[in-house]
Amino acid sequence: MSQSHRLKSGGRVDRNQPLTFTFNGRTLQGYAGDTLASALLANGVSLVGRSFKLHRPRGIVGASAEDPNSLVQVGRGAATIPNLRATQTELYEGMEARSVNCWPSVKFDVSAVNGLFASLLPAGFYYKTFKWPKSFWDRVYEPRIRKAAGFGKAPTGPDPDRYDKKNSHCDVIIVGGGPAGVAAALEAGRRGARVILCDEQPGFGGSLRGSREFLDGKPGMEWIDAAIAELEGLPEVTLLPRTTAFGHYHHGFVSLLERVTDHLGPTSPDARPRQRQWRVRARQVVLATGALERPLVFCHNDRPGIMTASAVSTYVNKYGVAPGRSAVVFTNNDSAYQTALDLDDNGVRVEAVIDVRPEPEGVLVDRVRKERIRILAGHAVVDTEGGQHVRGVKVMQLNARGDGVYGDVERIDCDLLCSSGGWNPVIHLHSHPGGRMRYEESFAAFVPDQPVPNTYNAGACIGNFALGGCLTEGFSAGATAAAAAGFGT
Amino acid sequence: MLYIQCPWCGWRDETEFGYGGEAHIERPKDPDALTDAEWADYLFLRTNPRGLHHERWVHTAGCRRWFNAIRDTETYEFKAFYRMGEEPPGGEK
Repeated sequence: MSQSHRLKSGGRVDRNQPLTFTFNGRTLQGYAGDTLASALLANGVSLVGRSFKLHRPRGIVGASAEDPNSLVQVGRGAATIPNLRATQTELYEGMEARSVNCWPSVKFDVSAVNGLFASLLPAGFYYKTFKWPKSFWDRVYEPRIRKAAGFGKAPTGPDPDRYDKKNSHCDVIIVGGGPAGVAAALEAGRRGARVILCDEQPGFGGSLRGSREFLDGKPGMEWIDAAIAELEGLPEVTLLPRTTAFGHYHHGFVSLLERVTDHLGPTSPDARPRQRQWRVRARQVVLATGALERPLVFCHNDRPGIMTASAVSTYVNKYGVAPGRSAVVFTNNDSAYQTALDLDDNGVRVEAVIDVRPEPEGVLVDRVRKERIRILAGHAVVDTEGGQHVRGVKVMQLNARGDGVYGDVERIDCDLLCSSGGWNPVIHLHSHPGGRMRYEESFAAFVPDQPVPNTYNAGACIGNFALGGCLTEGFSAGATAAAAAGFGT
Repeated sequence: MLYIQCPWCGWRDETEFGYGGEAHIERPKDPDALTDAEWADYLFLRTNPRGLHHERWVHTAGCRRWFNAIRDTETYEFKAFYRMGEEPPGGEK
């Protein structure tokens, strides 16, 4: 079984451990360390679902919790789980995954015909419009609407799995195991504080897991691995990977969901419960939740093959997967230039970097220029072409005010469009207990204003996107939190 | 979830407690002498401040005793906990 889009080398997947899985009945292969999404992309599968109303084709956009499209149904029988994100679902041997919200199949979907009449189905139109005549509801409308609308199917049998809940106390809880969170955990842990460090991903490192950045002259992940090894040696530190913090309440109360055996699959002999809810009362809370890339808005920006730039970098660097063969990068900031370099270095042809800024400058921009990648400054993507996958983009020049386009339309062939509209700090957990936010003009996003009492925000979640700044802030937040919990220097 | 210090049992989760509304409302010594408006004020009218609020709590799932607390209604921060019959820290009621 060939993995047509797998790079020859690279990535943090175990190429000696192939895994077989099925997607919509097709048998495919990935590697240990893949998510379902990265394994699908490695096999050149880009169409994973259908949109809710018009059943437009939907592809993988992101690489983690931010992906809006890749909802799948995993497993069968009573243990089936509807509406998992393929980007968060770790691959295991024998996984059975199916698309949701498509009938009879994701490639040929009857309801997609709605798209032809899209202009007749205004935004307020919903299936509940079909109410009359009354006798038709039970026999005609409801069964059909149920088929056309809704996503996955809930299991009908009793849940065969066991679940666990646990109450816990600690001095400092750190949410987010990226560079800032790991730095905070190191600082607080070294002072002897009881620390819980949790991260939604299977391992720690956050953005460093999908990047080629260097720290202290070594690859960033070497620093993270050393730090995690040190934390594992500290008796008062609890490391919780695969654990999502889903609630932050007053006075340092944080709810976590740990996925204990989900990644092993339903046939695993592991006797541990499937998931565990943690209810943690912490003296001090450090939020190092990072930032998510936002996509740019243009006509037909929802075709499969159009992804956020950081997600493409993650697939290349972390999974050794090239989501396309020829790429176009569309950006309004510097970070997507790194994606162009990541693709170029791995043999993916970068047709052009389209930048809305008239005169992009910077280290990354210069490096892209040096690689002789074409940069179209002051341009914008105005439309994309393709059916079930993007085949090309249309580009026009932006006017001086940036609110209109003029000149000739240039068409560029590509099967991958990486878009970057800047970064949004993840401030949900700051907002849960009533934390206020403030609009930051310089990068057009909301950031935490005053921190909640006994809570510290560190790293990209307050808009500090540079690695060095994340680490400094992480160390300082860890030190302050530990000191406030009674663990001074 | 709030974290509350019972003056007898120590720090416990909010789920162990019941809320008793505004503290330091004294029953009038001679109810018959009150006008209807004064009686209604005693029975029904409560302050609803933005800021410090004196309130009663009961440790239902613990010692089952009542106590008082001062809480900032804006930040949910408790400023003090004190037993029934004690003067509130800071004096002001």
